[in-house]
Amino acid sequence: MKFNKFVDNKLGETVYCGKHPSGLEIRVLPKEGYDSAYAVFGVKYGSIDTAVKNASGDFETIPEGTAHFLEHKLFESEDLNAFERFAKTGASANAYTSFEKTAYLFKGSDKIEESLEILLDFVQNPYFTQQTVEKEQGIIGQEIRMYQDLPDWQVMFNMLKALYSNHPVRIDIAGTQESIAQIDADLLYRLYENFYNPANMVLCVVGGIDHEKVAEIVEKNVKKTQGTPCERKFEKENPVPVQNYIEEKLSVAQKQFMLGFKEDISEPLLSLEDEIASQIMLEAITGKSSPLFKKLLDEELIDMAFGSELFNGFGFSCVMLGGTSKDPERTSAIIKEEFARLNEEGINPEAFERAKRKLYGRMVMNYNDIDDTANMLMNLYFNGYEPFAEIEACKSVTLEKAQERLAKIKDEYSALSVISPIA
Amino acid sequence: MPEIKMLTDGVRLVSESTDKYKTGCISVSMALPMDERMAANALLVYLLKRSCKAYPDFSLLSGKLDELYGAILGAGVSKNGESQVLTLSITCLADKFALENESIQLEAAQLLSDIVFQPNAENGSFGEDALATEKRLLIQRIEEELNDKRTYAFNKCVSYMCKNEAFGKDKYGTIEEIEAVTMADVYSAWQNLLSTAVFQITVVGAADAKKVACIFEKNFAGIERKPAETETVFIQKSRRFNRFEEKFPVNQGKLVIGFRAGMSHRRDNIFAFTVMNDIFGMGTYSKLFTNIREKMSLAYYCWSRLVASKGIVLVESGIDTDKEKKVTAEVLSQLSDLRNGKTDLEVLESSKRALRERHTFTSPEGVLGWYSAQVICDEILTPEDMVNGIEQVTMEEICEAAKKLSVDTVFMLSAQEEAEDEV
Repeated sequence: MKFNKFVDNKLGETVYCGKHPSGLEIRVLPKEGYDSAYAVFGVKYGSIDTAVKNASGDFETIPEGTAHFLEHKLFESEDLNAFERFAKTGASANAYTSFEKTAYLFKGSDKIEESLEILLDFVQNPYFTQQTVEKEQGIIGQEIRMYQDLPDWQVMFNMLKALYSNHPVRIDIAGTQESIAQIDADLLYRLYENFYNPANMVLCVVGGIDHEKVAEIVEKNVKKTQGTPCERKFEKENPVPVQNYIEEKLSVAQKQFMLGFKEDISEPLLSLEDEIASQIMLEAITGKSSPLFKKLLDEELIDMAFGSELFNGFGFSCVMLGGTSKDPERTSAIIKEEFARLNEEGINPEAFERAKRKLYGRMVMNYNDIDDTANMLMNLYFNGYEPFAEIEACKSVTLEKAQERLAKIKDEYSALSVISPIA
Repeated sequence: MPEIKMLTDGVRLVSESTDKYKTGCISVSMALPMDERMAANALLVYLLKRSCKAYPDFSLLSGKLDELYGAILGAGVSKNGESQVLTLSITCLADKFALENESIQLEAAQLLSDIVFQPNAENGSFGEDALATEKRLLIQRIEEELNDKRTYAFNKCVSYMCKNEAFGKDKYGTIEEIEAVTMADVYSAWQNLLSTAVFQITVVGAADAKKVACIFEKNFAGIERKPAETETVFIQKSRRFNRFEEKFPVNQGKLVIGFRAGMSHRRDNIFAFTVMNDIFGMGTYSKLFTNIREKMSLAYYCWSRLVASKGIVLVESGIDTDKEKKVTAEVLSQLSDLRNGKTDLEVLESSKRALRERHTFTSPEGVLGWYSAQVICDEILTPEDMVNGIEQVTMEEICEAAKKLSVDTVFMLSAQEEAEDEV
């Protein structure tokens, strides 16, 4: 396998990228002086994949929560399950499902090669029966219930439901009790065949192992059959939200809120430059050193956990701001006023520079721990970028670009989600 | 191996310098008795984090941190045995990543020491507005513990179980105590802190330990030190069985079972207790995970936690409320198997391997956390010491340790029947 080498001298890191004949992308960042390694095997299949393209080329709807359900089930096998196999190497293994991907991972310092073989093997060999699927419905059912009681989670999903009418980003990652009840072993096998093909996957390894060794293990353990990447369907959404306000009562002490601004996008993905410019813009305007943060704190409308972020992916992009507040409506009004003012007067150039420095620092910190680094390499790949692209983009972002991104935030595209205490 | 140095009476510096990481981290842990000053101490640490003489308000200090490439300033309060520990910490990039060749590390170390020793205070006052804000935020923080039912139930179980011990108190003091704190109380809490707290300054990664030592030594020079020793009560055997219940409008119930571990001090038989607890309910090979989750499908999580600094073990699980008896019975039956040696040797080996991995840190925060948790220990235990000790543990010792566990208190957070299922 041939590797392309990417070097960032300032950062002192090198990433090797290669493509296996099956279409599997491999990215390795060897770390000298490290015994431990972290590997993540990712599939471009997340909760937003609620349709599959069938033989006749049409998109067919599937139940909500299948990516997450498969994630749970892949750990099982006919004899030893994946946890039992990793127990023999000592590596700690785990997996997670997000909106756009499913990731299987391990971290270990001993028998790394053996652990890597286990990782590749268990993800490529599904085994489930109707009985084991039913057992999992009980476990996932409890997981769903747990999330239903978490206000931070609910406030965000309610906001997404208010903002998006069609895009599946509005549904819960694990699905619902009803949707998972529709899942059976046959369906899981069918979806597995569709999404889990090497051309739709990436393996990222960081730490005490080099790219040659990783290549050798991949050669031995990955089937060479060429797959094709799965297509996602992009449907442009009306930027106007479904509703501007949504409220739910939960057992909480104080009101929680999340204010979202949906972006009117005509392409499925934002550019990395736009993404980073938005992050810097938000930090400059709403960060802890901003006049907005001080005003909200002085008026007793927020606490230290108040924060903002850009939330984007295939077919969706929005800015979210949230925290605890005794008066979410007044807080939202002040935030909107500040956005409007800075749209007129311009973002403070010093605040912009400070925010940019902060983001650069935090990006370098992402290379501190092998866990963060491997996950970041995976995300860059899935979004179509080469290693270190994020640092380069951060260094070159201009104030004008940040100002342009601010102009995309529009009151008429916003929704406020509130969780209020049960009286 | 860490370097250990006493800077002055009751002030220890523990450092592990390495250029392996992108950052340097410094933490200052300050241990105090759990007495009537707890509320004032808790308010103090957050007041100190707000500002200092050089950056006299919250926005200026936050701006400075942003300029230091997004340095992270942390403040926290925790219980460590029956001591209240206040922590202030800073993490920032190693100097070689600075874009203009400035010394980030030294500035960060100076800033952290200024925050402890040169607060923004005049004539015995930190500013009435600042105190009022921190009171509001701290009270809100306590009230919000209700939002996360898992942590809430855990804390409730501990407070019922240790009702007659200092450990049963809330780490921040009570809301009433916080409301009653005056400016004079916080100011004297600060003076008391500098002269009587047991300090540990922990330095990991790119930070220069010698320079850090110098900065802190200078600041301690004018202070008369009378470090306060604290004792933790270890109740080795429960003499009762209590059950408490609270009902909430939630989807999932939370069960917490509190045991006395049977330890006489925090390092008493620590290796055997650590492995025993891991096999009981920490790893994926543990009795609780494999039975309650995987076999019986009763929960998404069910794990046990050893709080060695107090000699207690807590089992927690998110379950359907009507399964409390079934789950409790199964937890006790698994404990009984553990006591009677009904554990595969393979599981013991898995546990040792996994624990070795858990003590192999890959981030400076991991190393920092390990050492700073030992602020009140006379002898520093390295992760290697721990791993070597664990290696020697036998199955007999595990059974003996398990036999010492005695159930003390059960806390059940139950779902009220009228709970709504969906939004």
